[in-house]
Amino acid sequence: MNGVHDLGGMQGLGPVNPETDEPVFHAPWERLAFAVMISVFAGGNYNVDEFRHAIERMSPADYLSTSYYEHWLHAMETLLIEKGAIKESELAAKWAKLGKGGA
Amino acid sequence: MPVLTKAMVPSAVATGGSTRVKARVAAKFKKGDKVRTLNLNPLGHTRLPRYVRDKVGVIETDHGVFVFPDTSAHGKGEKPQRVYTVRFKAREVFGPSAGAKDSIYADLWDDYLERA
Repeated sequence: MNGVHDLGGMQGLGPVNPETDEPVFHAPWERLAFAVMISVFAGGNYNVDEFRHAIERMSPADYLSTSYYEHWLHAMETLLIEKGAIKESELAAKWAKLGKGGA
Repeated sequence: MPVLTKAMVPSAVATGGSTRVKARVAAKFKKGDKVRTLNLNPLGHTRLPRYVRDKVGVIETDHGVFVFPDTSAHGKGEKPQRVYTVRFKAREVFGPSAGAKDSIYADLWDDYLERA
């Protein structure tokens, strides 16, 4: 699809500045997201092409203002709901609980 | 449902789940062949970047047979086919402001290409 992810040749995004000694993860939750992603993938919930497409379907504004692992989390949530593995209401309830300082 | 076991973790992390398949599929093109990319704008998933659509390039490497993402992303089967690295002159892609000596390489599936 002609999504915002297809950035090649686009201008105005500023220089590419790789971090020196870039850590594999920038926050503890990213480490967790990586582990969950591999497990969910191995569980046969979806294939890698469905995963990429789920990221491409993000709203362009959200896509550009969120990080790599936030894209992963978005795709996992989208696909697990679409495939019926979890319910949207379950996810919303969990997010609400986390928002109140729960776990 | 399959479960990710400890023994599977190293290869899963190292390969990122490669979509290479063992199916024997004949190559439509060989190294050195001149090809033109199709001007595809599908509503669904594709790995043909916008900036190399309807451009002429040369087959650089034949990587073997892989799942076709455009069908695989939509439950329409693996449609295994060859993936090639195609070399485009930078000026073919981005016009006269691009460097005369620069090239752009893209890994592209057979279904994105026609003979030029």
